[in-house]
Amino acid sequence: MKEKYIQILGIVLTLVYGGFIAFLYAAEPRSIEEISMKARSTVENAVTKGQVITGIYEVDQEKFNAGLNAFRQNNFVVARDSFERADPEHRDAKTQYYIAYSFYRQGWGRISNDDALFKQSLERLERVSLLNPNFRTDDTDLQLRTPAELRGELEEGMTVSADDFNPLRLVRERK
Amino acid sequence: MTSILSVWFVKESDTVDMDLIESDIETPEVVSDNERDDLKQADSAGIAHIRAAEPDLRSARQRLVLQYVLLPFVFLTVALLGGLRISGVDSSFIFLKPALLCLILAVIMLTLFFRSGLIRLDGWFAEDLPMTKNVANAAILITLFAATTQLLNSLMPEQGLPFWIVAFCFFWTLWNNLFADFDTKKLLRSLGALFGLAFVTKYLLLANLTAPAGKTWFEALTENPAQEAVTRLLDLPRFAAATGYIQFFTAVIYLFGLFILPQSTRNEPD
Repeated sequence: MKEKYIQILGIVLTLVYGGFIAFLYAAEPRSIEEISMKARSTVENAVTKGQVITGIYEVDQEKFNAGLNAFRQNNFVVARDSFERADPEHRDAKTQYYIAYSFYRQGWGRISNDDALFKQSLERLERVSLLNPNFRTDDTDLQLRTPAELRGELEEGMTVSADDFNPLRLVRERK
Repeated sequence: MTSILSVWFVKESDTVDMDLIESDIETPEVVSDNERDDLKQADSAGIAHIRAAEPDLRSARQRLVLQYVLLPFVFLTVALLGGLRISGVDSSFIFLKPALLCLILAVIMLTLFFRSGLIRLDGWFAEDLPMTKNVANAAILITLFAATTQLLNSLMPEQGLPFWIVAFCFFWTLWNNLFADFDTKKLLRSLGALFGLAFVTKYLLLANLTAPAGKTWFEALTENPAQEAVTRLLDLPRFAAATGYIQFFTAVIYLFGLFILPQSTRNEPD
């Protein structure tokens, strides 16, 4: 083998082994078994980032549909999990709106609301506005069609006012 | 004709087949008998020369493989193992990234390597060397830097007062060495002594002062009150005993890497 080929082989092996070591120190697996799991998630993340950079990033439609089914069955935790996996980079306004809406519906209560969930919903709505300022959902099941409407409902739910003590509030419906 | 072919064959091929050279295949008489004898003698001399050069070529190739494949592998293995600790609670891996101070000390150590002549800069990088060779040499020196950083990461305590005391001792020694007249042997002896002392301090002295992990504070205080007090006072991490063994071999592998590190890469045929 010529000297040049040995040097190239050395450079390639150094890069590969060095990359593996850098991966180990970045991923910090706690056991041998964990190495393969971390490697898979790292590759998936790298592929997703690559898709974002090259502009071919798309929401995983299968996971999105699974999330939508769970959402319609009021299983909001499962729905959010599916939506998160469908849009890991948080770049799809529609998916992010469903996540925000799931926080609203889960946190809504006839007597009192869960402020922590409402706050998370507001955070997601900011992301939706950032991605698409003119976003409007086409889902007829959702009564609050725009981020502004949902934000109004959330802020009203988090504010304590005289209306909160109105007994007629007990008959109101979740939107 | 046979001789002409054989001369071409000897020149063009690495392996020489004597049967082909001395075969008795009938060819048209292009050269006279006398000329044929002369060519045969020339063939034999060429073959003898090539055969004599074969062991040199083989050893040069082995040296190249050692230098460009084994050496980075050795240093990268040190870089891998230098930050590895085994948890004292559940024996899981803990990968510790080096502190900034380790990088600074590694730079000082590399400067020392150049100053003492362990590495000759003009023997590793030069305009007259091929591009591939310069790049490959740079890759080796980067792995040496990574290995040195991680060795320091391995030998210095992880946190608290012991880290600062040992780090100061390292810095003091290396800083003094930087201005001393050194040759390669003296430098390696000095570094060997420094590494040995640091290893004993961390993996024998401090490790024996550390209380075992996985016990409640009440158990720890009743069973090993002194160890528990020292562990908490000095903020000592509780690692498994396997960590010491791993780091011992890491230091040995690093010293082996320094042993096979050539002063210059110019001596092999290009």
